[in-house]
Amino acid sequence: MTKKRNFKPIKTTVFYIFLTGIISVILVPVFFVVSLSFLSTREAYRFPLPLLPALEMKFSLTFGERGYLLSVYDRVDEEYQTVLDTKELDKMAVYMKSQLNTPVTIPELEEQIARLESEDPVYFSLKTNLLANYATFFKVAGTGEAIPALIRSLQVALMTIIISVSIGGMAGYAFARYAFPGRNMLKFSVLFVRMFPGVAIALPMVIILARIGFYDNPIGLALVYSVGSIALTVWITASIFMGIPVSLEEAALVFGANKFQAFIKMTLPLALPGLAAAAMYSFLGAWNETVAALILTQFNPTFAVIVYQTVLGAVGQVNLAAAGGMAMALPAIIFTFFIRRYIRQMWGGMTV
Amino acid sequence: MATVSPEITSSHFQFWNWNRKQFRSFGAKATPYLLILPVILYYAFFWLRPVMVSIKGAFTGAEGQLTLQNFVMVANDPSFWPAVTNTTIIVIFSVTLEFILALGLALIINRKFAGSGFFLFIAMIPMALPAATVGAMWITGLTAHGWVNSLLLYLGILEEGQKIYWLAGGRATLLALIIILDAWTVIPSVMIILLAGLQNIPPETEEAGYVFGGSYFTVTRDITIPILQPTIQTAVILRLIAAIQIWMVIVLILGFSRMPVLVERIVYYHDELSNLDISFQMANGYTLIVSVVVSSVALLYLLVSGAFKKDVEAVK
Repeated sequence: MTKKRNFKPIKTTVFYIFLTGIISVILVPVFFVVSLSFLSTREAYRFPLPLLPALEMKFSLTFGERGYLLSVYDRVDEEYQTVLDTKELDKMAVYMKSQLNTPVTIPELEEQIARLESEDPVYFSLKTNLLANYATFFKVAGTGEAIPALIRSLQVALMTIIISVSIGGMAGYAFARYAFPGRNMLKFSVLFVRMFPGVAIALPMVIILARIGFYDNPIGLALVYSVGSIALTVWITASIFMGIPVSLEEAALVFGANKFQAFIKMTLPLALPGLAAAAMYSFLGAWNETVAALILTQFNPTFAVIVYQTVLGAVGQVNLAAAGGMAMALPAIIFTFFIRRYIRQMWGGMTV
Repeated sequence: MATVSPEITSSHFQFWNWNRKQFRSFGAKATPYLLILPVILYYAFFWLRPVMVSIKGAFTGAEGQLTLQNFVMVANDPSFWPAVTNTTIIVIFSVTLEFILALGLALIINRKFAGSGFFLFIAMIPMALPAATVGAMWITGLTAHGWVNSLLLYLGILEEGQKIYWLAGGRATLLALIIILDAWTVIPSVMIILLAGLQNIPPETEEAGYVFGGSYFTVTRDITIPILQPTIQTAVILRLIAAIQIWMVIVLILGFSRMPVLVERIVYYHDELSNLDISFQMANGYTLIVSVVVSSVALLYLLVSGAFKKDVEAVK
């Protein structure tokens, strides 16, 4: 046996253990915040935090001093713990729904209480509503503004995409296909604009947008977000168009098409996946942005602002903050998955 | 001047006298500029104008007079120097730490392996997460009964009843904490950038180094890293720009004013203290400072990446 044959499997194993280590460092915090976003309010404040949300809660019911004594099985201490002593069943139902994420109707509770005549205490279990925190978040966050804010965020993102892909795409095509004096300088000036801090534009934009009636308005935000987004689109589309051979357009010209038709028929279809990636990039920029949105909105915040505010006051409601954070993260992660190849190209390709 | 080329005559400027060919040739030359014109106009309206307004605002006093008073006010703000030093410390330490670790990881991972696509996607997640989500992640983790202590308990590092009060530390502890949180967000992405750069290096160059008797260490130091230098430059400068503007994670886990940094001050004066007379001027002053610092770094980037090279060279 040679040395090589001996070492290779060990080396590979060590390598994969190393990779697993990196992956766990990345995913463990994500895992906990996802898990927390499903936990009931009561469990979210237990220590140590349960690793996974309960699919089912076990209860016991008996007679108490003031009415009925409700106990819930605590997974951390592994025992039943009394949580409520009341004879008002609606109060009990509200508590079970809001603190334990187990929605229950009053007849169902009455049914369990009826069983008290034959057995004491009564044991029963209820299914938890795993999406309860998300539902609550969308109902209460930003005093009911979460869903309108979500719609506004989508509007802003869509307008940003339209502005930046149309304006930026044209310029990207010019940079890819033409050699002209000032090309390099212009291309980098665009990059400079992107690097310029967004917060520095947002502040003076308050006055400018107020003058044209777009302060506290999705259109105004889209106009501001497009500044950074156009620059990015210029660079992405330029690299996309550079990758598509000019000869295709020339061939179309030979067959009697004009330049515009040649572009539409030959280059555009080939560029579509790349343009889609540029659009998703613009979406992510608009979706995630918070500072400018904080500054440029007042009564019509975006979703990012609502989530930011929920997290900022999170001490009372960690599971709601987690749910809001995850609702915010979901589109970002999905789009990142679709454009992961382009992100790497962008980062690698920015060097020029 | 006498050196005007013979082709350029006055008829060139009287486009109403142009013939078809002249139109064509003008059209061909003008096309790229026409395609770029919308961007230029857009930037004139929505970038240059606000920047001008911002600069003017920074030098304008409460009564509209031209003044340096805003900067005096900012300099006298008790949280100004802490904000400057905090930002500086965070930028220096986080960018350095992130780079050393990311480069190390990229060098170790730099090979073809099964599941690399999946691994790279996982590595992109921290950077893809919105800042508010990252904030939610750490504020729920770092409280005394949060998931970080829970995890340590499950792993047996903490004993029953023991808790670490992460957010109760002094300034140095909190700065270290913020640098570590930023590292978690950033290192995987920087690693991907460097990995992409590494994989563009043709294997022959490194093989040549080994043929001439180089060790892994000398080949990496003398061949790989120098070739990787442009990638490193880009990534470092992009990171610098982002690190200067870090604020949200800090505010979400520590609240306003506990660990002031420059951009946090802008939001603080604009959003949290907006009822004060001076807050608008303060926000303007801080904004100009951040803009100047970031622009300088951005210009440095343009300089090293060859933005000011002659076009002929670049177009080729």
